[in-house]
Amino acid sequence: MSDRAENLLLLVPGLFLLTVAFLLPIGQMLVLSVSGPDGPTLQHFTRFLGDPFYLGLLWRTVRLSLIITVICAAIGFPLAYIMAHVGPRQRLWLVVLVILPLMTSVVIRSFGWMVLLARSGPVPELARDLGLAGRSFALMNTEAAIVIGMVQVLLPFMTLSILGVISRIDRRLEEAARTMGCGFLAAVGTVVLPLALPGIVAGSLLVFTLSASSFVTPSLLGGPRLQVLAGSIYNAVTQTLEWPFAAAQAVILFAGILLLLVPYIQLTARRHG
Amino acid sequence: MVRAVPPALRIAAWVFVAATALFLLAPLVVVAGVSVSESQFIAFPPDGLTLRWYEEVLASDAYLAAAALSLQVAVLVTLAATIVGGAAAIALHRRRLPGSDALATAFLSPLVLPTIIYAIGMLMLWSALFGPVSLLTLALSHTVIALPYVVRTTLAVLAESDPFLEEAARTMGAGRLQRLFHVVVPQCLPGLAAGAFFAFNISFDEAVLSLFLRKPGLTTLPVQIYGQLEFSPDPSVAAVSTIMIGVTVLLIVVIDRLLGLQRFASP
Repeated sequence: MSDRAENLLLLVPGLFLLTVAFLLPIGQMLVLSVSGPDGPTLQHFTRFLGDPFYLGLLWRTVRLSLIITVICAAIGFPLAYIMAHVGPRQRLWLVVLVILPLMTSVVIRSFGWMVLLARSGPVPELARDLGLAGRSFALMNTEAAIVIGMVQVLLPFMTLSILGVISRIDRRLEEAARTMGCGFLAAVGTVVLPLALPGIVAGSLLVFTLSASSFVTPSLLGGPRLQVLAGSIYNAVTQTLEWPFAAAQAVILFAGILLLLVPYIQLTARRHG
Repeated sequence: MVRAVPPALRIAAWVFVAATALFLLAPLVVVAGVSVSESQFIAFPPDGLTLRWYEEVLASDAYLAAAALSLQVAVLVTLAATIVGGAAAIALHRRRLPGSDALATAFLSPLVLPTIIYAIGMLMLWSALFGPVSLLTLALSHTVIALPYVVRTTLAVLAESDPFLEEAARTMGAGRLQRLFHVVVPQCLPGLAAGAFFAFNISFDEAVLSLFLRKPGLTTLPVQIYGQLEFSPDPSVAAVSTIMIGVTVLLIVVIDRLLGLQRFASP
């Protein structure tokens, strides 16, 4: 047996699994999205794109995902910068802080926010006590609740993406800028931020993708009235049992996400090597 | 350099970290708090201190059945993903096959493709080919999304391994299998082990695939919790959730001991 044959043998089970249990299902979804009772049809797509209800839901998905991505980047960059600059002990604690929520089930984290944001829960209570909101103030079943919950779910992805790039920036560049009279914030803004941009872009693409395709948190925190695209797919599969229509919606999501994923893979492929 | 950071900014940085920590951990802390509350209703802060919700969980057939299913699936996934992913990572690391980089990207692709798209495809393909979903469907699909984690942790360990050890073994007459199992696999061990624990965690906490691939009698713990939250949440949901958070904490400690969490600071 040659070395090459050995490597192939090691690789074959994985390739088989990826082909049969990953590529084929995606293919099946694509096929089903254009299948009708009388052969291939685009009716499921025209139904979605011609209905203001579904277009509104698509717009909500895109809008909320954008807001969530921007907030995640705004918190994730300083957090990653701090993680890269503290001592090893403190960094370990910060890594735990980021990874513990990341590894906890999304269902459980959304549950936590349901308790926190409930009408008589701690967050609205605090807002009322501080005089920031009126007596009728509510957060549950609002878009704000979806954003808060999703930022908490996705912030770890953004932070780790940025940290991966920031920790490889040559520390001397920042020091050089400082020695030449640059203030601290100016050095971060003109030296670190541009160099960290690939991480911020990669993290943003990932967060946007995950945000646009999640339904557990939006449906638990936003309620049935504030549906997003992924929630609509889930309903079409499990409630109304319109599978081809569900597949067509998934294809629309897939197409939008592919446009974002291609640059993401190009940005990160080199690092995965 | 560190001294040159203005003191006001240092304080601001710590306030920022504390606020972020509060934001990230609050949902978990709240769930744990609710689980020990004496009140019938879900409320935070908890009033009183009781373990009766935990007793209720341990006496509930629905939760126990869901936990048993989740564990079965997670163990199957851990075994399959570790063996298949570990083998693939060894081959990918040697970079002797044409298109190794493209193959590596292919193995990591389930990581970036949103699970919902995969879940709907899996449900439709399985139904078309085999009819109703089963434990096998869950295990297979969880294995696919856990695979990239094993590949990644194993590749990370191999990247720091000594490439000449295998050559040395070859020169000294070790056969192909001997080299693989006595030289290469032991070098991969920390990565394989960390990958295995990640795989277990992915499967055990997975909700999207399990929600799409469910049927009566095929309910994993996260799906059971999700169903309870939609209809009639009581503090026993918080008790189950707290147990699951405990499992996650345990897994993180184990992974840190095996490989060091620092390594995962760069995904």
